[in-house]
Amino acid sequence: MNSKGVNQWWAKATSKYSIYIVLIAMFIVCSVISPVFLSTKNITNISRQISITTIIAFGETLLIICGLIDLSAGSVLALSGVLSVAAYKMTGSMQIAMVVGVSVGVFCNAINGILVTKFKTPPFIATLAMQTAARGAALLYTDGQNIYQIGEYKALGQNSIGIIPIPVIFMIGTTLMTWYMLNHTKFGRHLYAVGGSEEAARASGVNNNKTKMTAYLINGLFVGVAGVLFMSRVNAGLPNGGIGAEFEAMTSAIIGGTSFSGGIGTAMGTLAGAFIMGFVNNIMNLLGVQSYMQQIVKGIIIALAVVYDIRSKTKRDKKKQGNINEKLVDSSNKAKEPGAL
Amino acid sequence: MDLEMPKLELRNIEKSFPGVKALGNVNFSVKKGTVHVLCGENGAGKSTLMKIINGIYQPDQGQILINGKEVKINNPIEARKYGISMIFQELNYIPEITVEQSMFLGNEPTNKFGKIDWKKIRSETVRLLEQEKLHYHPTTQLKDLTISDIQMLEILKAVSYGSDIIIMDEPTSAITRNEVEILFGKIAELKAKGVCIIYISHKMEEIFRIADEITILRDGVMIDTKPTNELNIDKVIALMVGREMSNIYPKEEVAIGETVLEVKGLTNNSVFSDVSFDVKKGEIIGFAGLMGAGRSEVARAIFGLDEFNQGQILIKGKEVKVNKVIDSINHGMVMLSEDRKRYGIIGVRGVRENVALSKLERFIYKGRLHIKDENTTVSGICKRMNVKTPSLETSIDSLSGGNQQKVMLARWMLCEPDILILDEPTRGIDVGAKYEIYKLITELVKEGRSIIMISSELPELIGMCDRIYVMAGGKITGELENREFTQENIMKLATKG
Amino acid sequence: MKSMKKLMAVMMGSMLALSLTVGCGAEPKAGGTAETTTAAEETKPAEEAKPAEEAQKTYKIAYIARAQSDSFAAWLANAVKDEVAKNYKDVTVDVFDGESKNEVIASHIENAVTKQYDAILLQPYDSEAQVAPAMEAMDAGVQVVTVNNRINDNDRAGAIDADPVAQAAKNAELAFEQIPQNGKVVVLMGPAGNMHSDKRRIGWQQSFFDKRPDVKILDEQIANWNKDEAMRFMEDWIQTYGEIDAIISMNDNMAVGALEAAKAAGMTDILSYGVDGTAEACLAIQAGEMTSTTLQSAYALAEEAVKLTYKLMTGAGERETILVDCPLITKENAQEYIDLHKKAGNLK
Repeated sequence: MNSKGVNQWWAKATSKYSIYIVLIAMFIVCSVISPVFLSTKNITNISRQISITTIIAFGETLLIICGLIDLSAGSVLALSGVLSVAAYKMTGSMQIAMVVGVSVGVFCNAINGILVTKFKTPPFIATLAMQTAARGAALLYTDGQNIYQIGEYKALGQNSIGIIPIPVIFMIGTTLMTWYMLNHTKFGRHLYAVGGSEEAARASGVNNNKTKMTAYLINGLFVGVAGVLFMSRVNAGLPNGGIGAEFEAMTSAIIGGTSFSGGIGTAMGTLAGAFIMGFVNNIMNLLGVQSYMQQIVKGIIIALAVVYDIRSKTKRDKKKQGNINEKLVDSSNKAKEPGAL
Repeated sequence: MDLEMPKLELRNIEKSFPGVKALGNVNFSVKKGTVHVLCGENGAGKSTLMKIINGIYQPDQGQILINGKEVKINNPIEARKYGISMIFQELNYIPEITVEQSMFLGNEPTNKFGKIDWKKIRSETVRLLEQEKLHYHPTTQLKDLTISDIQMLEILKAVSYGSDIIIMDEPTSAITRNEVEILFGKIAELKAKGVCIIYISHKMEEIFRIADEITILRDGVMIDTKPTNELNIDKVIALMVGREMSNIYPKEEVAIGETVLEVKGLTNNSVFSDVSFDVKKGEIIGFAGLMGAGRSEVARAIFGLDEFNQGQILIKGKEVKVNKVIDSINHGMVMLSEDRKRYGIIGVRGVRENVALSKLERFIYKGRLHIKDENTTVSGICKRMNVKTPSLETSIDSLSGGNQQKVMLARWMLCEPDILILDEPTRGIDVGAKYEIYKLITELVKEGRSIIMISSELPELIGMCDRIYVMAGGKITGELENREFTQENIMKLATKG
Repeated sequence: MKSMKKLMAVMMGSMLALSLTVGCGAEPKAGGTAETTTAAEETKPAEEAKPAEEAQKTYKIAYIARAQSDSFAAWLANAVKDEVAKNYKDVTVDVFDGESKNEVIASHIENAVTKQYDAILLQPYDSEAQVAPAMEAMDAGVQVVTVNNRINDNDRAGAIDADPVAQAAKNAELAFEQIPQNGKVVVLMGPAGNMHSDKRRIGWQQSFFDKRPDVKILDEQIANWNKDEAMRFMEDWIQTYGEIDAIISMNDNMAVGALEAAKAAGMTDILSYGVDGTAEACLAIQAGEMTSTTLQSAYALAEEAVKLTYKLMTGAGERETILVDCPLITKENAQEYIDLHKKAGNLK
């Protein structure tokens, strides 16, 4: 391979895996500048801290890929969380509490889905309405008060299996689920297709409404689980919990390469994006960076991620104009599994 | 030797993009008052060359001379100053603005206070429209005009800037036959005024009607530049594709079987009415007609993309309901849309996913989509379709139009359809790719499939079809058997009613 | 149709007249609105808490909450509603949600004036931003009483508040005794620029940090009153600093959140101080996990606020500023406050 070929290979690798390179670079830099960063305990902490947001981020990833959005995630998280806590207090059964939490999440998102597919409400508006309504419902149910003394409910959010905190196990589970759905199911392909071009997907035999509805329902499942984990972690039923959680989740997804123009995004990218945000938050706390400064740094990172997203897109357009030489594809083949890490 | 100095001359133009040489060794000149046609397959570098002349790209090497003086064109605004205007293939216009607003968009005359001088815009627009004998009202919105009208406006704009070099990139790809005549009339007028025109086209009939000189590009390299009278269609095609093509329409005799599709009295209020036809196994059925005759709409209705009010669709003698596209796919009927960008490709996704999209079930077993199987099958089909792509993961919108079309065909081939509806299958793609698609159609019918081909290119229908239905005003105005095929017969029916 | 219009005109006219008289009757510092209604004179003072059965006039209070989604604000709103329902039969109260937005609060105040409420009981969100709308309301003859925060120029408005500096100071005095020599502490703040957070911080500064220069603040961060955010900070602090002697938090939610993280890390003897006296904090204090908090009692605030409002509406009293007591809660007296919360239904 000549040097030009190496350069091209490098350019391709860096653009495709840029997010992982950033992640690794950050990991190394953080390890160097803070002695405690690399401790097992700290890494466990980071994983636990990002787990709930990341679970929601997978829901957002699925939706954004499909050209949708969920602004109600934080509110629905609170509603399903407090109702789950209430169910636990009534029955003492964690299974029932989990079922209630998940059902509420799915129910709210079924409404989101119906508004979007049946009534053709723009997803932004439909879920904004749900954001307000679900928060209202959570406050109404609790009278605006936190629910305390929730007993062993907290085990799910605070305990560990071995050294791995339970929320992290859930995060790993949802990561695998999302990865599998996106790469190895018809639903995943249809998500990409609908997000890439709604009309073309329809003309290819994709049932757009079914795909969108399914995306919302799975998002509901994730948000419901996140709600239970959230309340369990804070050991209380907080009707005000999770305000703005949807934006943190979307940030992880966007940093991880999910594109707001639809049709692009991966599970592993979102996970990497979540870890990048987790590293940033963690290292700033470890170094005692002042509060206001922290906000500025986070803002810059989000802006950079979006600029990168737009730049890589314009690069694609440029390439199109440049009319690249096309080689015949070899049928013996470069069988690569995309999205695989 | 012509002593007259060329209006525009290109010497040794070269241009590379990262990793790709897009253009090399381009030399040609255009004389005042002539039409210079650029030919070449998609990807041959025509667009890049035009963008260099228009200042969008800068050449890495070489010179551009205007009136014998070397110039450096840094952007389209500078190009306009040198008298160069470009009419793009895909017209970018704002549908809501009016004729007069569009005429002076970005170049509005203002009074001394910086206020736009609408009176002047109105009077100038009226003057220009009258001068060019165009009958639009200055306050008509562009969305109420046809593509051909807007093209005329673009030309008018170019003239109003005083441009004497006008580049037209496939101007006839989206307009009707009558409109083409209007355009050619305009070109003749411009020629008479001494304007020189650089014209890009795939359509051989057109090229030989209007070209004074022809330059042929292939794979970024200039192959030849000659006066038209030294060339003929076969020669040009041979130069473009780099090989001789024995027959443009590789039709073969195929045994015709029983009726596979029957449509009875299909009606969609105000769009088409009482459309009945049938398709037999192994047949290639043509649908001819002018733009707006309702051909695509009928096809969309049969395919389940649009609804219809009345009528029956029978596949192999049984009535079927097609509420959704998936229904018709399941009945073995697929449709290649005329609007590939909108109803075909998923632009941001790779070739593999685009091909597999409509028949993912084939790779799903044990609850899992097997990407390896998918890869093997898709690459096999792509090879058969002769799709040229760096890899199966390359996003489809970075491929040329012809390759995108082949990927779309590959998608439908994967579904193993009995009936293929091809709506303008060769629009906007180059001669080489067209030939491949014709060959494929022939192979498909040999396998016992049936084809419905909608096309605005009559020679293609005449060359390929077994029967042709002609539509006009939403109705079928006639059915022609192979021996009755002539352009005159078809046009007579197409202009009926 | 014509007669309808006439009727409307008459009604409009009388409304205008009424509003004029009300406006005149409420000259600044005129000492109430006694002359506007006769019914008011017949009403008994609020202290007796007995409605006058013969009273024709009922009084309308618009309660404008800072934000109904804020748990303390919600508690206070409920307490005000309960107080009115229980003790003032001739008063109705409507609750409006300020949504933590100054412009929303301003429009609620304007609407309350238009809808002719007799008084506005306001829980200010921003001490400065609410001055102008409150003044306009008073100019229009509507009584304004602020509760749980004050507006800056409050000469003319009644005010019921707990002193945030004192709330913090009570904890700080205890901490002065408890935090070891050269102790290391972390500080959790409420949202940037929040009056209560800032004033409580001043209380800590004056009564603790200024007097104990040996104590080191390891870090000080904004956790926005949130339990989960405080947890996250504490987890990271435990990693960085290892040993931490005390959590100094500007409210209970954050203190309890940080404590969750400390408990998870096995730090059981850490000191922690909050403010508010929430049910959760009381339980944690009783369990020996949390050190102390001061009660910001929504009941005390509500009781005093409604009482003062009633006095002003009926012309039975002058505007005044009342600071309610904020008792310190420690392990010794925690049960008392847990009972209070149980009674209020905050603990089920």
